[in-house]
Amino acid sequence: MSKPNYDLEHHVKKATGIGDPQCFKDEAGEAKFKVGDKVRVKDLPDVFYTRTQAYTRGATAIVAELVYESPPAEDEAWDNCDNPEWFYSLIFRQKDLWPEYPDTFAGDTLETELPERWLESA
Amino acid sequence: MSSPTRNRVLGHLDYVGLLQPAIHKETHAPYPDEVTNEQYRAYTRAAHDVGGERDVPISWEEKEEEVWEHNTFVTCEVLAWRGVWNAEERRRRQNVDVGQTQYLGLPYYGRWLLTAALILVDKQFVTLTELHDKIDEVKKRYE
Amino acid sequence: MSKNHKAAPMVDEVSEFEILELAVRELAIEKGLFTAEDHQQWTEYMHTLGPLPAARLVAKAWLDPEYKKLCVKDGVKASLEVGIDWVNQMPTKFGTPSDYCNLRVLEDTPKLKHVVVCTLCSCYPRPILGQSPEWYRTPNYRRRLVRWPRQVLAEFGLQLPEDVEVRVEDSNQKSRFIVLPVRPEGTEGWSEDQLTEIVTRDCLIGVAMPKPGKTANDVRHIRPAVNPYGH
Repeated sequence: MSKPNYDLEHHVKKATGIGDPQCFKDEAGEAKFKVGDKVRVKDLPDVFYTRTQAYTRGATAIVAELVYESPPAEDEAWDNCDNPEWFYSLIFRQKDLWPEYPDTFAGDTLETELPERWLESA
Repeated sequence: MSSPTRNRVLGHLDYVGLLQPAIHKETHAPYPDEVTNEQYRAYTRAAHDVGGERDVPISWEEKEEEVWEHNTFVTCEVLAWRGVWNAEERRRRQNVDVGQTQYLGLPYYGRWLLTAALILVDKQFVTLTELHDKIDEVKKRYE
Repeated sequence: MSKNHKAAPMVDEVSEFEILELAVRELAIEKGLFTAEDHQQWTEYMHTLGPLPAARLVAKAWLDPEYKKLCVKDGVKASLEVGIDWVNQMPTKFGTPSDYCNLRVLEDTPKLKHVVVCTLCSCYPRPILGQSPEWYRTPNYRRRLVRWPRQVLAEFGLQLPEDVEVRVEDSNQKSRFIVLPVRPEGTEGWSEDQLTEIVTRDCLIGVAMPKPGKTANDVRHIRPAVNPYGH
């Protein structure tokens, strides 16, 4: 079997002096969603790896911020950094996530970041 | 307030919680038609995705770091610094590829360490034979 | 059992983990993947880390509304003013591999309380806050904080009124978070140093609130190590 040839320098070349995720700036193209949009988390196939938590799937949230561009974890986890996406910070109502969440604390929220591929308009 | 008696009875309260009747259904490679979609999702789940699972109140503790734990953390970061992997590759391997049993069965830094060992072999920087020989060599220093 | 039978030691003299750690490090060095100097250099970088810069960021923000706005708008830029350069300070010059370069400062208000968790692993803003505490890494904290936040916070001694929104920040991607708590009463006229002293690591994670006179995290059991790392 032949040995693969790894470019151990590729991240150094891309990110030195710039930082990560800054090094992916302007690579994702136009963002599909904007601050204030209501989105739903899709329940996409996630076999082998994801960083989109099961507890978010099917729930709706409001886009709070467009935080940065980066390859999604599903790709970066195999060192595939060719297709960065926009990442969004999303705010969920806890009552939309957990059926037993008390009405007394109906104002409580949860915020987490997800890449664009996981989101659809709601 | 701590005393041998207090420690004993508090330990007893923890221990009796483990005495429960249970019906265990062992699985030894079931047939495809015996596995529901719900079970498929559970078995193929990413072990790290624990948010929202039920658990009990515990005593929140700090911990002294072991020398090997500190060195392991540094090794993992330096391997990424020198381009052997990126942190996301590490997390995928360390927190999901290890599988459900090792995920909850091994110490936190135990998974970091095993994952660092395996990346060397997976990317063919080292053969598994070389790794085994090195472990053996190191072990012999302590005999 | 003979009278000369020696009881087995409670713990093996050297653990499999210690052996494997040495093996991995030696092999990596032998194969030229990194040098012993690299390992030492990163160790020394880790020694520089702790919660004080983050505490000082909060103190500065309490004293200067414009700086507070900067903290919320650009956490990386705000970090520079407390001596933390998320990109260039560490040997890589591209940030730490695990902590990236996107600090987000979460501003509490009298009606909004943030608390941070990483449900998927234990992501933590090490460059400005130091190493994460053991409890933060437990599956237990990661399972429960997102779903029963008020219960978990109560276990840490923090209870919020009904009209305060508790917002859990699940730190699951490249951003890293610190909480900028509300400045407590009884600190009028305090200096930056005095304010820094009461912003503990637990306040910066969000499981405690700063109070005059409270300059340390709550005392908790410290599980001892077999061969503790000390520096």
